[in-house]
Amino acid sequence: MRDKNYIKFLLIIFCLLPFSTFAKELQKPKFLDIQVVKDEKSNITAWLVEDHSIPVIAMSFSFRGAGAKNDPIDKQGLARLTSNTMDEGAGDLTSQEFQKTLRDMSISLSFSASRDNFSGALKTLSQNKEKAFELLKLALTKPRFDEEPVGRMRDSNKSRIKSSLSNPRWIAARIQNDRLFEGHPYAMNSGGTLSSLDKITSDDLRKFHKTLGKNQLVIGVAGDINAKELKKIINYIFSDLPDVKIKETKKYPLQNAGKTYIYKRDIPQSIIAMAQKGISRDSKDYYAATLMNFILGESGFGSRLMEEIREKRGLTYGIYSYFRRYDEADTLNVSTSTVNKNVKEMISLIYKEWDKMKSEPVSKEEINDAKSYIIGSLPLSLTSTDSIAGILLSLQLEHLPVDYLDMRAEKINSVTIDDILSVSKRILDKNSITTVIVGAPKGIKAEVITDIPNVE
Amino acid sequence: MLKRICIIMLLCLLILFPFTKISSAKDSTNRNKTKHIKVPKIFNAKTHTLDNGLQIIVVENHRSPVVTHMIWYKVGAADEPQGQSGIAHFLEHLLFKGHEYKGLGSYEPGEFSKIVRKLGGEDNAFTSQDYTAYYQSVAKEHLEKMMTIEAARMRGLNVAEKDIASENKVIQEERRQRTDNNPGSLLLEQLKAALFTNHPYSIPVIGWMHEVKKLNKDQIMEFYDRYYAPNNAVLVISGDVIAQDVFDIAKRTYGILPSANTPKRKRTTSPPFIADTLITLHHENVKEPVYKRIYRVPSYRQNAGESLALEVLEEIMGGGSTSRLYKSLVIDKKLATNIGFSYQGAAWDDSILGISATPSSIDKIEELEQAISNELKKLIKEGITDEELSDSITRMQADAIYARDSLSGPAMIIGYNVITGSSLDDIENWSEYISHVSKDQIQAVAKKYLNPDMPYNHPPVTGLLLPKKLKTTKKGAE
Repeated sequence: MRDKNYIKFLLIIFCLLPFSTFAKELQKPKFLDIQVVKDEKSNITAWLVEDHSIPVIAMSFSFRGAGAKNDPIDKQGLARLTSNTMDEGAGDLTSQEFQKTLRDMSISLSFSASRDNFSGALKTLSQNKEKAFELLKLALTKPRFDEEPVGRMRDSNKSRIKSSLSNPRWIAARIQNDRLFEGHPYAMNSGGTLSSLDKITSDDLRKFHKTLGKNQLVIGVAGDINAKELKKIINYIFSDLPDVKIKETKKYPLQNAGKTYIYKRDIPQSIIAMAQKGISRDSKDYYAATLMNFILGESGFGSRLMEEIREKRGLTYGIYSYFRRYDEADTLNVSTSTVNKNVKEMISLIYKEWDKMKSEPVSKEEINDAKSYIIGSLPLSLTSTDSIAGILLSLQLEHLPVDYLDMRAEKINSVTIDDILSVSKRILDKNSITTVIVGAPKGIKAEVITDIPNVE
Repeated sequence: MLKRICIIMLLCLLILFPFTKISSAKDSTNRNKTKHIKVPKIFNAKTHTLDNGLQIIVVENHRSPVVTHMIWYKVGAADEPQGQSGIAHFLEHLLFKGHEYKGLGSYEPGEFSKIVRKLGGEDNAFTSQDYTAYYQSVAKEHLEKMMTIEAARMRGLNVAEKDIASENKVIQEERRQRTDNNPGSLLLEQLKAALFTNHPYSIPVIGWMHEVKKLNKDQIMEFYDRYYAPNNAVLVISGDVIAQDVFDIAKRTYGILPSANTPKRKRTTSPPFIADTLITLHHENVKEPVYKRIYRVPSYRQNAGESLALEVLEEIMGGGSTSRLYKSLVIDKKLATNIGFSYQGAAWDDSILGISATPSSIDKIEELEQAISNELKKLIKEGITDEELSDSITRMQADAIYARDSLSGPAMIIGYNVITGSSLDDIENWSEYISHVSKDQIQAVAKKYLNPDMPYNHPPVTGLLLPKKLKTTKKGAE
């Protein structure tokens, strides 16, 4: 397989801009026919795309701000462990009864915790929708957190952490988060540590569960359901949840700029993870930065990094740049790997691309190709019921207007070559890059990390 | 749509009308007499074969104005000449390095991917033991362009020596990334080498490093010329298209290519073995042990009936947290934190059935292995329950509905099944075939292939991934 593991989905998210008040759409066919469904009684809103061509309904939802960043430092992994156990028994149903009902009715229900948000996803055949909604409501309102499944999920997480210690990419990411976000909750291990997971009790999970409020909810639904029915359903599922106090977020500056870290490991190929400050989603330069990054390294084949480093020199199987956006930090990352002896050359080639992007305008062809991909690839991300529900969720998490997808092409097309040069000059700074290397590279000056942070 | 409750009832009560398509899918001793139930076809695919032998399969799906175009070649790593391991995969990489064919155009190295991306599309390729496939997903109006360029590279590869040399380095990096940096992959590579003695599945798809380094242009071009031809390929297209239009475009593009004299597939076979094999890898980067056991079992092409029974068995033994193995070993006995039981019937020769577990601690490994054996013995002795059978079948049929909820998914499923010897009818009627699998058949395949007391003519290979310093005193699998 030719590596191309960037997710097109991310690109769309990267192009999101804040609410634009002047948008008055002309009468043209909509990209997606999004209905805003509001249950006045509970004040809960869901975005819906109806599609009755396949008897499937998908729902994605997030409790904004309820993610792992709120974990106490000695109980890292709390949000994650809660997400693992919310579907392990609820109401009168034990873990096995709950799971068996899901499986026998082919309902997929899962919860997850990112650094910022606590989320869930439900997918069901139309014929089983009543049961699916009932189980989701039960899981959200009456989770049991019985000792047995909690213990089992704790063990499974500890096992996952120990297995991850064989994975140099995981180690590089762990060190990178620890160094970039030093002093901020994002530096913690959102998957928990071997000792913190032992400290989390069922009561902690129950306490965490109470922090999930209906006033934080963001919901996207797609498939075989209409607005009238959905309105009732969102009231039925979510209205019993409490309202909670919403915390303010503010941006935290990246730490340890310009430093290089190495974790020595006797493996043939070194993993390289680099990051510098990214761009905030409400920046006026957001689209220009998106196009710049696409040209630099997001696009895989055809990107400058891939062409220079893989295609011309055969130094790696894959190299990508990408923006990461959290509520409280923004980064621009490069990740790649190469045989130990080439690490130094690789890093200097990456720096060279930084310099080039800052000093010379991109070509007409580069900008046009980037625009046509970013605009043209949208339909491909809307080809399954759950991917549509996922996009509806993301749009809302990014505070975008319901007609955003119809305005998106225009925003992208309006970016000029000069815009890209000016944003490159403003944000790209090779001296501020924090680099983490895992492996046995030659000739690299770096601070040596001996203990992987927040694992034990 | 599927009326699941009716199916469960009918399965138990009515009479089975045997299928003619796969006679082995029925069991003459079947006591669970079931009626022939009309289950809808999964994809409603349409097919046509060009004069040059290229089979085309189209799945119409009008949800979104996009299309996936996939070409599947009936050649993979297991068809490589001896000593040239990795050549099928190397060739796959080189197909992105430029080609030209009279009437279909000329393309620079990397140009095809760039064209696809310019159109907002996605493209990639992959190689397995039995097939090599290339695909693009694009807006539907660009389908003809994709077909033109893909047809040109079926017979018109034109790659420069310097690109071969630099791509060889890329593939070495790929091998380091996938395998050499990863103790779990290293172990699995060795388990397969032991399981498939004297069969090419013993060689990894990416190739052995020392052989990959030496692959040259002549060898690669010879392999390409021999196997890349319309009569050795299947074209699968799914998306917002009309089948007849696709057939017409295919005729104008792929249709101009001559068929080739592709050699008939010849594979060596393994002799029966009797000794148990245990392979242990102590590795300094391992902190969590892994227990693995792999068996040789029939693929769908080799034995459709047994293959279908193995699919249902997989669902019963390994399908999530309510499966037999998970309930017994993870929840009840706490011998493992995770366990999997997997089977994939789409292979030309023998398929692999794998059991894989994360032991709850290193000193529990023997007990874990014993407990897995006990579960298998219980399965062989007592079989499965009516409820297990009907619930599994219902879930599997629901999965078939979900399979339609995707653009490239149907092309993928059809592609790897057809290219490994299933007929289109087999795939379309899978939901129905599955509903005819009986308890007896499942018990029979378990007894034949998984019996810990009497292993089939190829005993399984067991693997242990362990931390460096801890030594196990274990002698071998039972």
